[in-house]
Amino acid sequence: MPFPNVRLSNRPLHFIYLCDCSGSMAAQGKMQALNQAIRQSLPGMAEVAEQNPEARVLVRAVRFADGAAWHLAEPTPVQELQWRDLEAGGITAMGEALSLVADALQSPPMEDRALPPVLVLISDGQPTDDFDAGLSRLMREPWAQKAVRLAIAMGHDADLEVLQQFIGPEPARGGKSPRRPLQASNATTLAQYIQWASTAVVGAASMPASRVAQSEESGSNIPLPDLPPTLLDPTDDVGPLVW
Amino acid sequence: MIKAWQSGTSCSVIGAAHRRQGKPCQDASLSCQLGSGPQQLQLLAVSDGHGGSRYWLSDIGSNQACNAVRESVEAALQQTPLSDRDQWLRQLQLELPEAIQQRWLEAVQRDWQQRPESATTPFSSAVYGCTLGFVLLAPQWWGCSGIGDWDLVGISAAGEANLLSEETLQGSHGEATTSLCQADVMVAWRQRAQLQELRASDPLQALVLSTDGIRKSCATDGDFLQLCGQMIALESGDPLKQGLVEITAQGSGDDVSVAIVQRSGPRSTRLALGPAALAIAIVAAGAGGWWWWQQRRPTPSPIEREVVQLCAAPERIKASLSQRKQQFQQLLQQPKAAEALLKEPERDPLGALIASSAGGSATLQACPPLKAALDAQWRMARKTPEQKAPAQP
Repeated sequence: MPFPNVRLSNRPLHFIYLCDCSGSMAAQGKMQALNQAIRQSLPGMAEVAEQNPEARVLVRAVRFADGAAWHLAEPTPVQELQWRDLEAGGITAMGEALSLVADALQSPPMEDRALPPVLVLISDGQPTDDFDAGLSRLMREPWAQKAVRLAIAMGHDADLEVLQQFIGPEPARGGKSPRRPLQASNATTLAQYIQWASTAVVGAASMPASRVAQSEESGSNIPLPDLPPTLLDPTDDVGPLVW
Repeated sequence: MIKAWQSGTSCSVIGAAHRRQGKPCQDASLSCQLGSGPQQLQLLAVSDGHGGSRYWLSDIGSNQACNAVRESVEAALQQTPLSDRDQWLRQLQLELPEAIQQRWLEAVQRDWQQRPESATTPFSSAVYGCTLGFVLLAPQWWGCSGIGDWDLVGISAAGEANLLSEETLQGSHGEATTSLCQADVMVAWRQRAQLQELRASDPLQALVLSTDGIRKSCATDGDFLQLCGQMIALESGDPLKQGLVEITAQGSGDDVSVAIVQRSGPRSTRLALGPAALAIAIVAAGAGGWWWWQQRRPTPSPIEREVVQLCAAPERIKASLSQRKQQFQQLLQQPKAAEALLKEPERDPLGALIASSAGGSATLQACPPLKAALDAQWRMARKTPEQKAPAQP
């Protein structure tokens, strides 16, 4: 008997990288490290997606420099993703990047039944455009409010304050929390953060679990997994200070 | 003459994701007749435990929610004539929510006091957090109330399905929902309360009450409404259960529950002639003998059902088994654990299937990909840590 005779479907999980491609990213191999870290994280991300067939992990990427543009515009199943290298050059139009993502998070095209998206902002500097306008535009979108928002600061010139604004309110307790910008000062740490975001966080976001509205359980819409043991303090890097 | 309500049915099925992870079903559902004579009322209820580590006893919370609504409605029925609609609307808006929440809180508190954790950790109702939706069916009216992200769909005699109640949370976040474990949520209850009078010409034919896992399994709300229309045509018991298993496996992976009731009288002609139903009719006519034979087959065991599900979606076999690596190891180290799994296969059908394949899959009635995957996992489990480590250059 053909039941159920309707279109059933797993739930889309949108994972969006927002990558700083300003000129400073060309220095000290930062751009190369970011490209490598993302590329190396893909098999692990695909494995997590395979283990959670109820979620359809779809990856996109925005690059921002003099302006912002989709580097990977089509929501692409992680298993099919071939990472194309980003190139550095220009200034830091982070606000424009946030506006671009805001457009993509409108409903439609976002499906009502999607899982909370994961947004990962990676930057080594300070915004050169109107960051506040971009953030305000982004946070007007309900899907942006629902999103898991993570930020990775590459090197010590990154503007931690704006990255924290992107993530949301800083946790009351000091120290170890992925609800603060994750500071990477070398390629190894960066790769570990990207790996964590694309596996542990994707795994957690793939699980269908309700939460009580307006509860004080956390600032996040999913229970964020712990950082890897070596990265428990986001301000303590592993390995030498390169950036 | 107003058409009478038939006996309702309810069913809860563990989500595909929870089954794979060895978690319990956190949904519960109920369909029962309360009172007698002119004070006879039917109750349908569904409850969805929130899941997640913070709500680790929400499977108990959802069962207690169904108990609390049954006891509260029973008590209300002794004091309120069914003919007093205004009073029943007030019951749905105010008195039942308060009574249900109070009973639920007392029940989960009692449960907590019996747990060893209560010696060191103060009670918090949040760990039992769950939603609750319920429908009351009187001869002259029907009404509903509840809290959380349950859905209620009405299906007309013409086969038209409409969403009659859904949660609309302002500024909701992600999978956020209101919950029985929250204090000061009477406004949320009131928003979901309604009482509808039935008339002789009322087109309402059926009501389908469901937890959010069903709607989130459907590609669109149109599919969800169509699915509700199809569900009322299913027989209760195994066909409904099997249907729900398919829904969660192909959809959200969440636990799923429904409670369904129909009114007597002719079934929808439009539904019978609609494209979906027409397809069903063609298949049924062509495969009448097969259907007759299926009806006479003994009910499949939980292990057989598990095999059918996995073989129907071979791409999910590896994911399902690889999350049970520890169970394979445990069964090798403690062969007696297999006895417990096989004794009560309905508690963990996948675990029971794994246990039944411990001696090799050759005798297992299963598709080749499942047999191969089971054998591969056993081979992996038997390897020593040194054998599992990648070769060093």
